[in-house]
Amino acid sequence: MVTKADPNKQGWEESEFPILCETCLGDNPYVRMTRQGFGKECKVCSRPFTIFRWLPGAGMRYKKTEICQTCAKLKNVCQTCLLDLQYNLPVQVRDTALNITNDAPRSEINREYFAQNIEGKIAGGDSLIDYGKADTASREMLKKLARTEPYYKRNRPHICSFFVKGTCTRGDECPYRHEIPEENELSHQNIKDRYYGTNDPVAKKILNRVKGGGNSNIIPPEDKTITSLFITGIEEDITEADLRGFFYAFGEIKSVVVVHKSRCAFVNYATRASAEQAIDQSHNNLNIKGHALKIAWGRPRPTGPKTEMQAETSQNIILPPLESMQIPAPPGEAEPDFLYPSQDPTYQGSSTKS
Amino acid sequence: MPKIRHARTKKAPEGFEDIEETLQEFARKMKDAENEPHEGKRRVESLWPIFRLHHQRSRYIYDLYYKREAITKEVYDYCLKNGYADGNLIAKWKKPGFERLCCLRCIQPKDTNFGTTCICRVPKSKLEEGRIVECVLCGCRGCSSTDFTSSKKEKPKPKIENEEE
Repeated sequence: MVTKADPNKQGWEESEFPILCETCLGDNPYVRMTRQGFGKECKVCSRPFTIFRWLPGAGMRYKKTEICQTCAKLKNVCQTCLLDLQYNLPVQVRDTALNITNDAPRSEINREYFAQNIEGKIAGGDSLIDYGKADTASREMLKKLARTEPYYKRNRPHICSFFVKGTCTRGDECPYRHEIPEENELSHQNIKDRYYGTNDPVAKKILNRVKGGGNSNIIPPEDKTITSLFITGIEEDITEADLRGFFYAFGEIKSVVVVHKSRCAFVNYATRASAEQAIDQSHNNLNIKGHALKIAWGRPRPTGPKTEMQAETSQNIILPPLESMQIPAPPGEAEPDFLYPSQDPTYQGSSTKS
Repeated sequence: MPKIRHARTKKAPEGFEDIEETLQEFARKMKDAENEPHEGKRRVESLWPIFRLHHQRSRYIYDLYYKREAITKEVYDYCLKNGYADGNLIAKWKKPGFERLCCLRCIQPKDTNFGTTCICRVPKSKLEEGRIVECVLCGCRGCSSTDFTSSKKEKPKPKIENEEE
């Protein structure tokens, strides 16, 4: 909005409703929000804008809008997470797929001028990103990359920085997460890069999945004991018998496990050769009852503790009666049966190759 | 804070000297709490001991007069007038549902975003399982009346040793 007195004077944004994605809003349909006019500067264009703040469900952290609505509309992104509103994908992924060139100025003066001009344009139509213009193939790709369900884990509290330093004194009352953060390239993100779609590590990862990812899934893992295949995209009407019928053609099947809840299935072959053949034949070519399924190699067992017991419960272990105790098999012969968590070499999460 | 007594102030009524020692003990503790260093504490935490002592002192007078009827009306009024107890807080304690109220800020709906009271006013049964509450205003861990009806002996705050309950 341009003020009346001076046509060149920058108007400040004042809005009644935020532009948000489903994930950022949380699972509760009755969200209460606070609104603060000109509460902070936009993290992209640094003009004052209206801050909205809300709690996206129980056990989550408070979220607020980070960029102004002009900037959000310009890229058609959520005001908080800066992901595309239609596909929930990073700007860089969307722009690469739809071949959108990034023409927003990044220098301070031009940026404000640009934002002002854009505001006028936005007042007419609603979005500047034209999804219909792109060809169907790229739209299909975006659809494939996009999550089907909202990813609420994103709204969890941040990791307690005091805990990381080992000095958190609040214990259970601490509202922050007591976890050791993972250090990888994804931990170095910044909001401007994400907005402009340049060196975004998340986008890079997703784009890698598109480019080379198709092959990385079918390269046989080095661990020769893996004979299981992981299939995703299982719909309700696909049964175990369907999968068995399809995959039996490649060799003898040890077992088939279908998890409809997470829409995936595991096919365990008796031999490695048949598993390799199955994935070669059916990769990008797996269609059961009209559903296109994705196939990948199964992963080796996670290196977490094999025993269910955690450190807290280790004090009240019920010892088995003497009769049931058997002479332990020599190491390396059978799957070891641990009496105590401390006997489990994988207990502390350390990986031991078996 | 209690008023300073000097030559021209009114003499304390009879029976005040019985509780004077305890009140002095409270005053001493309050002084210690005031002078405590704030290093290592969170910003909201620094005032919690003050609120706690204030609650304890008011509770002591309140119990003596209304519950045990150990002091006379004159002594009670003198305590209120001289700031040994918080009359406004005691006024709330007399109302149903506010019997265990921790501080007056916690029931001030104008101070909150959505016109509600503090989290410590929510009964434990209404909170989600295993939720530990520590309100930012006074560090109260829950002062809902219904939390105390089953076990009368439980007190909202740890009481100081020399206070006979």
